[in-house]
Amino acid sequence: MTDRFPARVRTLEEELDQLRPAVALPPTPDIAGPVIERLRGAPPVTARHRPWLAFALAVVALLMFAAAAAAVAWAIGGVRLTFSEATPSPAPSAVASGRVPGEAVSLAEARGAVDFPILLPELDGLGTPDAVHLDRRRPSGGSVALIYGARPDYPADAAGVGLVITEFRADIGPEVFEKLVHSGVRVDETSVAGRPAYWVSGGAHFMFYRDASGRVVEETMRLVGDTLIWESSGLTLRVEGARSLEVARRIAASLR
Amino acid sequence: MVMVEARPLDDIGLVRAAQGGDMQAYEELVRRYQDLAFRCAFLVVRNAEDANDVTQDAFVRAFAALPRFRADAAIRPWLLAIVSNQARNHRRSRRRREGLVLRAGEDAPRGDAASAEESVLDRERRAELLAAIEGLREEDREVISLRWFAELNEAEMAALLHRPSGTIKSRLSRAMQRLRVALAADQEARTRD
Repeated sequence: MTDRFPARVRTLEEELDQLRPAVALPPTPDIAGPVIERLRGAPPVTARHRPWLAFALAVVALLMFAAAAAAVAWAIGGVRLTFSEATPSPAPSAVASGRVPGEAVSLAEARGAVDFPILLPELDGLGTPDAVHLDRRRPSGGSVALIYGARPDYPADAAGVGLVITEFRADIGPEVFEKLVHSGVRVDETSVAGRPAYWVSGGAHFMFYRDASGRVVEETMRLVGDTLIWESSGLTLRVEGARSLEVARRIAASLR
Repeated sequence: MVMVEARPLDDIGLVRAAQGGDMQAYEELVRRYQDLAFRCAFLVVRNAEDANDVTQDAFVRAFAALPRFRADAAIRPWLLAIVSNQARNHRRSRRRREGLVLRAGEDAPRGDAASAEESVLDRERRAELLAAIEGLREEDREVISLRWFAELNEAEMAALLHRPSGTIKSRLSRAMQRLRVALAADQEARTRD
């Protein structure tokens, strides 16, 4: 009798190991969504349709959770913020400090690729960015990062990046409050040209995307510093790397 | 797709936050473990719709049971025990029992003739193996598929099957022995043909 099996397969255990990826188990449906709906007894409120209700809920949550020393979650445009006093966790290995997602393109190319007007800061020394990164896929509608090298008000990080201004359409989503929490980062309410804004400061945190199924898109994970986030003209805008809130607000207010 | 400014918590942090009533933290926990729970539920009840019901019910129950869970304990066995309890309620389901099959394209040629031949052999052998597992009695089939297809360790299988670890170890050992016997019998039958 000829040996029907490859010589490298020696034990039944090894064969079963090799069989595993070949077995077609049914794909996992979305479990978390229906479970949370059942636990809440009603469909979740979405910020897309009711931004002010969501905001009010966030404030109520802040008051409740602050009293209970638990977590709060805030949302603005297409960004979710969370923090809490929970146990700090080790940094995920996927993080690359200073790496800005997207491909390097010219400003003109970026303008042609997204369906929103790209705003530029009109402050002295800024204006045309040193580099432009375009992510055509994330979030839907694309996102543009304007990257500036170090300036006196925003020193370079390890990757030589001084300031990053990120712009993308605000009406993206699944519009749910983010679930991730962090200790040591402050979130202060502020404003940019009369619009509500948040200043995330006091410690490094992560910026990343979640896909439609709620999974973290690992390659987008990036360690970032102090960040100002606000919404204007249907865009979600971030200024990251400014030395202080005052500087960040000056840059923000100059975007045209 | 949402952009997030945050820091992912570990399981302990999420459990503590969820115990404090943070639904976002609980949702994150469910997302972390829904794949494992669904796969195990399917391997026990063998119907995707039933497995979906079982997994959802298990996570709803788990939330209610969360205050009694010690945040620094291992979450996987605890969840699997709850999945198991829910799965028992579905054992009498009338839905069709779904057998395990190989993925489509497993026999796709890989280029040269030699590797194509090897691929067909691999495919045949895999089909034989899977058929032999599916032909085992339920108890053996369950323990082998949980060990090899859901990649559970003995403690997790023990939690899921509500049996002591030692019992699981000997049950798996006996199931593997019966699988060897079944495969040898298949081989013998083919040699005679």
